[in-house]
Amino acid sequence: MKVRVENLHFSYGEFSLHVAGQTFADARVTSIVGPNGAGKSTFLKCLATILPASRGSVFVDEQDLADLSGKSRARLVGYVPQEPSFTFNYSVLDFVLTGRAASIPVFSSPSRHDVAAAEDALRFVGLAELPGRPFFELSSGERRLVLIARTLAQDPDILLLDEPTTFLDPRHEIEILELIRRLAGEMRKTVIVTLHDLDMAVKYSDDMVFMKGGNVVAAGPPGDILSEALLKAVYDIEMGILDVDGRRLIVR
Amino acid sequence: MIPAKSILPFVLPALAAMITPAAVGQSRSPVTIVDSLGREIVVPGRVERIISLEPEVTRIIVALGEGKRLVGIDFFLRHHDRLFPFVFPPSKRLPVVSNQGQDLNYEEAIPLRPDIIFSSPSEFRMTEAIEKKMRLPVAALASMGKFRDLVTEIETLGRILGREDRAAELTTYFKEHMEAIRRAAAATGVDTGPTVYLSFWGSLLRTPVSYEPVEAAGGKNLASRLLPSYLGTAGATVSIEQVLLWDPEVILVQGNYPPAERQMTVESILRDPRLASVRAVRTGRVHYTFGFWYWWDPALVLVETAYLARLFNPGRFPDFDLVREGDEIFKEFYGTEGLFSALCRVLECHEWNPE
Amino acid sequence: MSGTRNKKTTAAFILAAVLPVVILVLSLNIGAYRIPPKAVFTTIVGAVFPGGAASGPSPYADILFRIRLPRLLLALFAGAALAVSGASLQALFKNPLVFEFSLGISYGAAFGAALSLVFLGRKVPAQAAAFVFAIIAVLAVLVIAGKSASQVVTILLSGVIVSALFQALLSLVEFFANPYALQSLIFWLMGSLSQADWKDLGMTLPIIGVGVTVLILLRWRLNVLSLGEDEARALGVNVKREKIVVIVLAALTTAAATAVTGVISWVGLIVPHLVRMAVGADNRKVIPLSAAYGACLLLVADDIARSAASFEIPIGILTSVVGIPFFIVLLKKSGKIWL
Repeated sequence: MKVRVENLHFSYGEFSLHVAGQTFADARVTSIVGPNGAGKSTFLKCLATILPASRGSVFVDEQDLADLSGKSRARLVGYVPQEPSFTFNYSVLDFVLTGRAASIPVFSSPSRHDVAAAEDALRFVGLAELPGRPFFELSSGERRLVLIARTLAQDPDILLLDEPTTFLDPRHEIEILELIRRLAGEMRKTVIVTLHDLDMAVKYSDDMVFMKGGNVVAAGPPGDILSEALLKAVYDIEMGILDVDGRRLIVR
Repeated sequence: MIPAKSILPFVLPALAAMITPAAVGQSRSPVTIVDSLGREIVVPGRVERIISLEPEVTRIIVALGEGKRLVGIDFFLRHHDRLFPFVFPPSKRLPVVSNQGQDLNYEEAIPLRPDIIFSSPSEFRMTEAIEKKMRLPVAALASMGKFRDLVTEIETLGRILGREDRAAELTTYFKEHMEAIRRAAAATGVDTGPTVYLSFWGSLLRTPVSYEPVEAAGGKNLASRLLPSYLGTAGATVSIEQVLLWDPEVILVQGNYPPAERQMTVESILRDPRLASVRAVRTGRVHYTFGFWYWWDPALVLVETAYLARLFNPGRFPDFDLVREGDEIFKEFYGTEGLFSALCRVLECHEWNPE
Repeated sequence: MSGTRNKKTTAAFILAAVLPVVILVLSLNIGAYRIPPKAVFTTIVGAVFPGGAASGPSPYADILFRIRLPRLLLALFAGAALAVSGASLQALFKNPLVFEFSLGISYGAAFGAALSLVFLGRKVPAQAAAFVFAIIAVLAVLVIAGKSASQVVTILLSGVIVSALFQALLSLVEFFANPYALQSLIFWLMGSLSQADWKDLGMTLPIIGVGVTVLILLRWRLNVLSLGEDEARALGVNVKREKIVVIVLAALTTAAATAVTGVISWVGLIVPHLVRMAVGADNRKVIPLSAAYGACLLLVADDIARSAASFEIPIGILTSVVGIPFFIVLLKKSGKIWL
């Protein structure tokens, strides 16, 4: 599913976000990068309609998200926060099951089909052996995976992930990024993710969006748009791009 | 030779003092009394301005004929007692110095310059507090439901007010009347009075542990074996099963409310399916009675006892007419005709007249 | 780990179905009027299958069916109501220390009922005013907590404030009530099932029944709502609407119970916690089990209240005496609270 943004505006206090036009391609991973305060998370939340845009629209397959009911929207767009805001100590499976909310009528409980979907999601993220484990006993890497599994169980076409690798150790970081690639490759989802680590973004994204001060500075495949001049413009410091064994690395 | 003229000023008063009986409240020596809390209080000879926070005391003061000395009363008698406005109409102009839940409104009380304050014994600390703050004699007086103490209270108040004669009249009348009722109602042979359950304070399940009119009238208060539980009214709370177990022969409902305000009525008890098997309900012996609010009115408690004696043993009181008896007793205490009839117009107690 | 959990869960459910019935039957035998167990049995059988050997109305039937049974049913339903609303509110507010009492619902309902009793007499059912003020109390709590309603401490504090407010208003009602109405009011406020009769139950039981049933139907939904407003909304849930439904139901069931029994507290806190400790936090288990065990708890408490001494111990006092130390222990073990 293609995501298109048209004239999106959002303000909060002194900060204001403005994206005139941006497209996110189907079955590809797009990362949003930029310095602190660039508006990456804000943009993501506006895409998820968690934050209400003051002007402009988000179109999924040319359908305005604002016209959809919450349930219909949830079937299209899934949002993975960095951490859950609070939870009771549910088991992993019960936690992932809550992702099925959009498909379950208000007064019903999950069916076998819903449970199967949740188990599939857990399997995809590699946590199939842990269904009964209490949430509080998970490591932070495992918690991130469970969060992604929950959004997978929701079965949306578009996944928005907010800083999924921040604060994780290298091994878990790679694990999640590999998972994200599989989401786009195997499951054909449109994945939009905010990342703080430029090298990882370059390595794992099909497209990148550079933001600064609430605006999009450049967008496109990393191979096309990455340049030292762009980096200087976005991050305000001199950075170099090295080619090491066919991989682009950024040094400062 | 001492001139008669110079002796006279000394002789006459001495003669007068020897001849004239003590007092109608004029200069007398202080009186020492013991109040209901066992405290010894020295009351000055002149007690002209009285604040009474205990309704029972206020009623007795009026019965002793000294209502004019009241300068402040409590909220209950002024706003909620149905009888007192008839008994003492000037009470409608008396300031209220104590509100619900309050001990004494000092700012109202002090300008009234009382000579003495009567308080309620159920609040010991209140009495001490008032005494400390007002620095006047504070006497805690109430019968707590006992006839004997009611008589003593009348006598004590008589001494304080210098109306011992009037007090003696009232106590004699009270004791003689009560004795007459007791004798007539008392068991002769193997007869015993009926067992009685009292439904008081607007609730089916709250009952007073001690209610002397019942025993004086020849009945037996079933709750008298219980310990009083709470809320300062010497009552206990029972369960419906307990009432069924007791199976009283007579049920008395506190009826000292205007009919529209009654929370518990004779009809509701007669119609309550849970009580259908109780003797009193089956035989229709469910009646209203006055009960007490802040203890007794001395006239009303006599009427009450006579009425109960008639209820319990109709055969022994064939010519009993509640309203007539009531008016007579009230006339003796308060000197006015038709006081009980006036009360009956509010409470509809003339309908309680047993056939 | 999940194996033992499953066994515990099954056991808990079986017990939940059986225990209330067992306690009910046992409780029928308790009361000041001694009825031999055999007579209890025959009287019940005689009522269920009429036309047996019983000849005419027996005093036992009156006691069992007019006095004990309504009271026991009230205890069952009120206990279930309080436990389920407590559990639901805990899920909704993401806060295990929340229950109908700490949200001001109990005292709001009590104030409403008192207002009705004192000024409208016994003709108007007190439940209506109780419900209205229970809702007002919750709204007040949400308004005072404002944007930080999701924070544990804030909502508890707001609940304390609103409870205090309604207690003060209650005192005001007592102040203005004439001494005659006041007597019955104080008696009622202590919390007691002693006057339960079929007339009272006629209104109360259906309301509680419906409320508890709907909340049980929403049990899985509460898992989702307990994730928080933003996340639940992202999952496609109409959070505002469903939150209102849960709050209204919790207030309704609590108010219906409180209007008849007076303030009985702590049940909504104790029972859900014990249930979570045994079977975990999944509301599909917690809500129905809370209903069953809440009913049992109040039944047992009422049995004690009416048989331990020669007079009735107000049940509100009993549950407080047990509940407050329990609450303190819970607070101390704060870290492990949302087990």
